[in-house]
Amino acid sequence: MKYADITKFWLPRHVLPFFIFIAGFLLLMPVEVLGDTESQESHSVSLADVRRGERFFKGLLPFNREHQACASCHNLSPTDTLNWNPSAYELAQKFLTRDINEFRNAVMQPSGAKMTASHQGFVLEDEDLGHIKAYLDDMAMKGPESTKPTFFNLLIFLGLGLILTWALVEMLFLRKIRYKFIPVLLFLGAFGAQAQMVITDAIRLGRQKAYAPDQPIKFSHAVHVGEQGIDCMYCHTTADHSKSAGLPATDLCMNCHVLIREGTNSGKFEIAKIIESHETGDPIEWTRIHNLPEHVFFSHAVHVGAAKLDCASCHGPVEEMHVMRQHSDLSMGWCVNCHRDTQVDFNDNGYYDTYIKLHEQMKAGEIDTIRAVDTGANDCMRCHY
Amino acid sequence: METKYWRSLEERNDPATFRKSEIRAEYEHKKSVIKGENGSSRRDFLKAFGFTIGGTALLASCNRPVEKAIPYLIKPEEVTPGMANYYASTFYEGNEYCSILVKVRDGRPIKIEGNDLSPVSRKGTSARVQASVLNLYDDARYKGPLKDKEPVTWEILDKEVIESLDQLNTENRKVVLLTPTVISPAFREVIAGLLATYPNIEWVKYDPVPVSGILTANSESFGSEIIPDYHFDKANIIVSFNADFLGTWLSPVEYTKKYSSGRDLTTGRRMSRHYQLEAHMSVTGANADIRIPMKPSQESAALADLYHELLRLSGSTAESGKSGIDELSSVASDLWANKGLGIVVSGSNRKENQLIVNAINEMLGNHGSTITFDRPLLTRQSTVAPMERFIGELTNGSLGGVILYDVNPVYDHPKGSQIAGALKNLSLSVSMSDRPDETTTLCRYNATGTHFLESWGDAEPKAGFYSLTQPVIQPLFDGRQPEESLLRWSRNSIAYYDYLKEFWRAELFPQQTQFSEFNAFWNDSLQKGVFEGPALSSLPAYNDLNLNEALQSVGKPSDGWELILYETIALGNGKFANNPWLQELPDPMAKISWDNFVSVPVEWADANGVENESVIVVNGIEMPVFVQPGQADQTMAVALGYGRTEAGKTGNNIGFNVFPLVQASSEDRQFWLPGVTVETTTKTYPLALSQTHHSMEGRPIARESTFAEWQLNPSAGNEIREDHIKHSTTLYEKPDYPGHHWGLAIDLNACTGCGNCTISCQVENNIPVIGKEQVRNRRIMHWIRIDRYYSGKPQNPYVSFQPVMCQQCDNAPCENVCPVAATPHSDEGLNQMAYNRCVGTRYCLNNCPYRVRRFNWLKFVKSDKFDYHTNSDLGRMVLNPDVTVRSRGVVEKCTFCVQRIQDKKQTAKIEGRPLQDGEIEPACVQSCPSSALVFGDMNDKTSQVFRLIGKTTDPEIPGDPRNYHLLEELHTLPSVGYLTKIRNTNT
Repeated sequence: MKYADITKFWLPRHVLPFFIFIAGFLLLMPVEVLGDTESQESHSVSLADVRRGERFFKGLLPFNREHQACASCHNLSPTDTLNWNPSAYELAQKFLTRDINEFRNAVMQPSGAKMTASHQGFVLEDEDLGHIKAYLDDMAMKGPESTKPTFFNLLIFLGLGLILTWALVEMLFLRKIRYKFIPVLLFLGAFGAQAQMVITDAIRLGRQKAYAPDQPIKFSHAVHVGEQGIDCMYCHTTADHSKSAGLPATDLCMNCHVLIREGTNSGKFEIAKIIESHETGDPIEWTRIHNLPEHVFFSHAVHVGAAKLDCASCHGPVEEMHVMRQHSDLSMGWCVNCHRDTQVDFNDNGYYDTYIKLHEQMKAGEIDTIRAVDTGANDCMRCHY
Repeated sequence: METKYWRSLEERNDPATFRKSEIRAEYEHKKSVIKGENGSSRRDFLKAFGFTIGGTALLASCNRPVEKAIPYLIKPEEVTPGMANYYASTFYEGNEYCSILVKVRDGRPIKIEGNDLSPVSRKGTSARVQASVLNLYDDARYKGPLKDKEPVTWEILDKEVIESLDQLNTENRKVVLLTPTVISPAFREVIAGLLATYPNIEWVKYDPVPVSGILTANSESFGSEIIPDYHFDKANIIVSFNADFLGTWLSPVEYTKKYSSGRDLTTGRRMSRHYQLEAHMSVTGANADIRIPMKPSQESAALADLYHELLRLSGSTAESGKSGIDELSSVASDLWANKGLGIVVSGSNRKENQLIVNAINEMLGNHGSTITFDRPLLTRQSTVAPMERFIGELTNGSLGGVILYDVNPVYDHPKGSQIAGALKNLSLSVSMSDRPDETTTLCRYNATGTHFLESWGDAEPKAGFYSLTQPVIQPLFDGRQPEESLLRWSRNSIAYYDYLKEFWRAELFPQQTQFSEFNAFWNDSLQKGVFEGPALSSLPAYNDLNLNEALQSVGKPSDGWELILYETIALGNGKFANNPWLQELPDPMAKISWDNFVSVPVEWADANGVENESVIVVNGIEMPVFVQPGQADQTMAVALGYGRTEAGKTGNNIGFNVFPLVQASSEDRQFWLPGVTVETTTKTYPLALSQTHHSMEGRPIARESTFAEWQLNPSAGNEIREDHIKHSTTLYEKPDYPGHHWGLAIDLNACTGCGNCTISCQVENNIPVIGKEQVRNRRIMHWIRIDRYYSGKPQNPYVSFQPVMCQQCDNAPCENVCPVAATPHSDEGLNQMAYNRCVGTRYCLNNCPYRVRRFNWLKFVKSDKFDYHTNSDLGRMVLNPDVTVRSRGVVEKCTFCVQRIQDKKQTAKIEGRPLQDGEIEPACVQSCPSSALVFGDMNDKTSQVFRLIGKTTDPEIPGDPRNYHLLEELHTLPSVGYLTKIRNTNT
């Protein structure tokens, strides 16, 4: 039997790539999507309770109420960047170790002003509260609802690859399509798109411009810097004399938050985390935003302490950011260009007295300004060693 | 006449064939790399490469890992993330003392530097001191107290030990506390407290390599067991009989500082003359102006001859010579001409020899001038008799128990196996070690101690010179420092820190007048690390007790083979055997790492067809051979400190242990043995020799002259430089640096080849350890190596040491050939190396005439094949966060410690002031015990480096007349200058 016969018998010839595509898709799919995993029932709470609590939390149960569903404020997905309210998972974790009475008090008779306003007029039966608590406890133990992994780019890339391969095979061997330009166009298009994806990704490799991850505390630079006008160096104390700008230690936060226990936007929940950290002794694990590429040694001290650069020149309008994000791309080109443009404090900083020849040239009027690059700021071993 | 240098005997005898064999070996090696050892070829590689590229393209779309940033909860006031703190402390291990500064970065001690305030070690360190920081992060360390090798709580351990001690006390059975020489006054007080609590405890001091000969001789000559203060800087004539005072004898760091300052021709015009009479080529012998090979059995006769020669010169009648060493008459006349300005020392442990040494020094009037007694050295105080008595009691079963502190007699005492057998029978055996060793593993209890960087303590290395040890990190494990354990067992609940402070308040605070308040005094001493108390006052009177007996006991030198057992610079007595840095440090003379070996004389080797890596049988022990030029006839030498079995994964079973060969009697332990039998075999044993893998092809690399010639012509020996300068022309533009132009001056006259810089650099720059096999493959990674050249007769050659690191050429051959511009030149004259650009073509490596670039052939970090400190989380804590850890496939080399340059420049910029000369010190420069290296800015006309090597880009400013550059004729314009070595020979 010839190859062509087998394919005729078993598969429509042009469907083969599609099958490979599907097979690949199924392989790459997270397992949870394929089968509904049964959660372990706890002793006192039935799975039905958890399910009911879930539907209640998501507002799927028709019940008599004036207010919105819980989920409309308390996000279910762990990423809730612009939401001031605590996410469902955070709530779940907080109340896992507390009993139903505490939970009821927190929901029905909140102490903070913001929460009092939003929970006003809540009419909830104890039974429903129990279901919600069961659902939250379940979530706390299982972890937050997983967001589906983004295979989108990869799938497009693979799909384009398949088109490309098919077009090539069609052009060279099959020759079924009458108009030659169709496979040629498809080939060029797919190849171009793939190349473009690779190049974009390659340039972006290791760069995280506009990276704004969720932080363990919804700390707002806009509130602290913009509204309250706190100086950067109040918290980032070592920026002018150490390599690292310094993250404020928890006790530094407590300088103010020993008194300020409730925020306008976030209520008590976020600030309580600082107090908790202070009391339990567990430091806060922030997510690092400004990750320099590997093999670079950067010093804040020389930029802030010696060059007197404004923080905003690299970190952007921090005073407007509720969620801190990376302003510059931190690429080498960005560094090097800045060094080319930035003038150094050549006449006033005593360190530069060593550069006798440049001083003479300046006096003679041969050059008017000294930029960082003229004093070797773009040497490899300024940053790579 | 130009001196003809040779690096190994093969090269000297037949340079052409040698080079051919070298090229052959190199070719075979490269072939194996290309072909692959298991037959895979370049084609297979390409196949694999194709697949990998595909995989990489897919992986590239992955996101970067999320990194966490965790701030302090409550920030300690003195800790600033990203900035290092320096704390003064004290190193005292294996009878070696050093006052140190510990660099602590983000809570981790990562580097040890010399403390310039110390009047003893004066900013110098040794290779072992440098490497000791890694011992802190040793995986082999015990994690907590142990009973019968099982973890136990401190409460149970303390209770049981105290119960046992009480019971033994009521039974009136003796317990021995065995320690090395304790130089800590407070610890001595703690021990006194223990002895008062338990009258049945006897304190026995045991040093693996004692100087009991000096102590007992001095107790007869001067009335007290005392090691005097030797002023090698003040001496005009230094005569040493087998004393390796620049390497391992007594206080080498201190002596090296003094010795080199007495021979410094960069500032002075005085130079001491150094005679060394020895059998085995030691570092000290290699630095001697006149070295006279001598069998150990000749020493008594040689000393007696010298004494008689001096008597004759003083006008008395004297006996004629017995030793057969003719040069002694010129030694005597030199000493006689410099009465009161000479030093005669002997490394012998024979009391009679030391008595004659004392008589000689007394006759010359050296006592009181170059040898003083106001600051006696206290680091080796043990005599042999108490230890022998202890072993007797231990083996005959009359001993009830033993408490061990920092001693390992099972390994390093010749009767170790007897001790091992008897230890098990004791009802109480407690060790206080922080890591396993041969003795501790046999003990019932281990009251796990701490590393000295985790401990409090004090030290008195020389009378009246005190220093403090302070912890720079919380104990990593559940250890407790032995001082504290002894306090607990003496039923004293005070913390040792408080005890120490109270001790200083009571004993040392009254010794000074500067501070009226104790805390101010304490803080000041702690900050400086040292405190100088008053010296001892009176010069003890000399008497010639037993001198005549000593002179009469001198016999004729014995015939037959003699075997010398010596400590090495790297491992010493073997305590640090589990330190991979020290294991990989090539021996300064043999340039062999990862093994001990037997050094044999050249003529014998030739006559018997023995060559390097042959195996011979000495007294029944098989030993690999190294043919050592300068080894005295009929002598062999082998290093102590190897052959550990319980040291840890790195140190176990490296080499073989020769401590059992030490000659022990009830009065002394001799570290040589006569009447040795030698047999040759046909076997071979591979040694990791690095001596021939940096060929310089016979060009005038190491230059030298004599003191007499130098006085007439300061550029003596360096005449060829004039020629080089004359021909220094170029088509290229002259390099010009607007700001700094870094330069390094190396005084070959000061360098003793001790290897401190190599380890210091290795610690600072995260240089990997690659193991014996890779060293044999000529891949050793050290950024600074010390080349050792021989000249003259192989029976007794002259030796030159030359540290070679990247020469930072301003016209660098490596820079031009890099296809990816990974190694360009900086605006400050540095030859830069950007690891993340390097693709590993190794063109630079091949185009460098100095062979100073290193290639990461394999992944040496986090690799099970290189299971050293970088393969464990604990070991990696020693890495310097300011220097990239290189991966496979990149070239690396000396950077002049650019991270330190950047750091100091930054400080100066922030403070708005120019950099000071001497402010920046690369790791090699900082702690050099002989101050042989000077670093600075050649654009600064007032700098020391400018005075020494001028401006390397400008032939008009050549610097010191002794200055020259390596391969200057190639016009590479190196930024490293060498100053000619000067020998003070009498010809």
